Amino acid sequence: MSAMTKLFRNNGAKTDFAIPTDASVGLDASVGLDASVGPDAGAAPGAAEAPALDVRGLDISYADGFRAVKELSMIFPRRSVTAIIGPSGCGKSTALRAFNRMNELIPGTKTGGEVLFHGINVYDPGVDPVQVRRWIGMVFQKPNPFPKTIHENIAWGARINGFSGDMDELVESSLKQVALWDEVKDKLKQSAFALSGGQQQRLCIARAIAVRPEIILMDEPTSALDPISTSKIEDLLDELKKRYTIIIVTHNMQQAGRVSDSTAFLLHGELVEYAPTKELFFNPRDERTENYLSGRFG
Amino acid sequence: MGNRIQLMDEMNRLHHDVLAMGTRVEEDLRRAIEAFKTQDVELAKEVKADDAVVNALQLKIDDQAAILIATQQPVARDLRELVTIFKVTDNLERAGDHAVHLAKAAIKLAGEPGFRQGERLERMAETGCEMLRGAVAAYLNRDVEEARRVAALDDAIDREHKALVEEVLELMRERPDQVKRAARLLTTSGFLERLGDHMTNVCEAVVYMVEGVHVELNE
Repeated sequence: MSAMTKLFRNNGAKTDFAIPTDASVGLDASVGLDASVGPDAGAAPGAAEAPALDVRGLDISYADGFRAVKELSMIFPRRSVTAIIGPSGCGKSTALRAFNRMNELIPGTKTGGEVLFHGINVYDPGVDPVQVRRWIGMVFQKPNPFPKTIHENIAWGARINGFSGDMDELVESSLKQVALWDEVKDKLKQSAFALSGGQQQRLCIARAIAVRPEIILMDEPTSALDPISTSKIEDLLDELKKRYTIIIVTHNMQQAGRVSDSTAFLLHGELVEYAPTKELFFNPRDERTENYLSGRFG
Repeated sequence: MGNRIQLMDEMNRLHHDVLAMGTRVEEDLRRAIEAFKTQDVELAKEVKADDAVVNALQLKIDDQAAILIATQQPVARDLRELVTIFKVTDNLERAGDHAVHLAKAAIKLAGEPGFRQGERLERMAETGCEMLRGAVAAYLNRDVEEARRVAALDDAIDREHKALVEEVLELMRERPDQVKRAARLLTTSGFLERLGDHMTNVCEAVVYMVEGVHVELNE
């Protein structure tokens, strides 16, 4: 794979959009994203650096006309964990799926607004959704390893993305990053289904990072796991954020408190409050946030 | 992989901050003793000014501990450790106030001839200083034995206080012209006696933190 990868299809797109393949490389300054743009409510708490993702006026409706997300504007700082919390049906998972165009897989979904990644709206015609998902990966609620070996679960995504390096090394480093290597190094040729639920989820995270994304979206990644596996994933996030930007949706607000740097509270598809997690949990500004966090929500 | 890495990291940071606060109060107390001994008014004024720093440290630590409780949901020993932090900083802050009281006494009594009660006050403050250092160490090392040993030092302060009160009452009876100075000696002694009590509280908090039981170390 060349050092630079094109996000756009070569179908007459106006811009040659390229980003570094190494997630640890800083954002190209020439992209010139203005972090100050956007409504105050959505401004990333204390972010001076160019953001990982800049969401502007995101509006999502389902086929039945239900407006799940209303004019959501948020800036996600790089290499940090941002949590999105809110009651069931508040639109948090729908918003998350919009960040890497996963909602398109649900027929009839209408998405408005912009999701800017390196200054490029991922919804521009000409942007390849497959490439979007390669740079912005996703980990789901229920571990969903492929019905293949542990090794192949990691290798597959990298291979179809044109990885030509040492595959064993990639598998090992990916598994080490999720602290799974020691547990599986002697059974790489066994089926991934032989692993426990918690191990399967860490395998899915390893699979997501094997293609070296910049952003990892996590949709309630521990809700199907026991407390010990949950704790391992939570500790893992603290490590992963050194290299990746993580956006996690969770209905477990305590988890948001434990793992995130910033937290956004969504209600009825609207962003109510977005602040550093310590501030939000200690002294929220909006009464609705206070009521939700303290369990006084009807 | 150890669990709850973030909680552990933040708690370690808090322990460092408590150590920093304890060291600061100890320094203030030492300087107050020095100012009292040498009648150094300028040094005494520095101690007074430093109290704001100590107070700010307490607020910072307490806020951080409260945020950890809000975001990390500590339970069992982790929770006790965080609750203990509030007790420790509260008592350290009071110790800082007593350093200021001694410094104020140094200012007020400057220019007066040396006196026997002054030496008692110095000894009380020295013992208080030793208790402070030991109590903070016991806290950081989660050392119940050390906490009990340190708390026992309070007896020495109490004995000095009692003896001083007797002497000063005698002085008041014999030298009505010295009543003002005598009253100052009494209140200062009372503050140093409280210093010992606050350090005993820290020691009790250490036992609570480690063993989960409330104890009275000096009945």
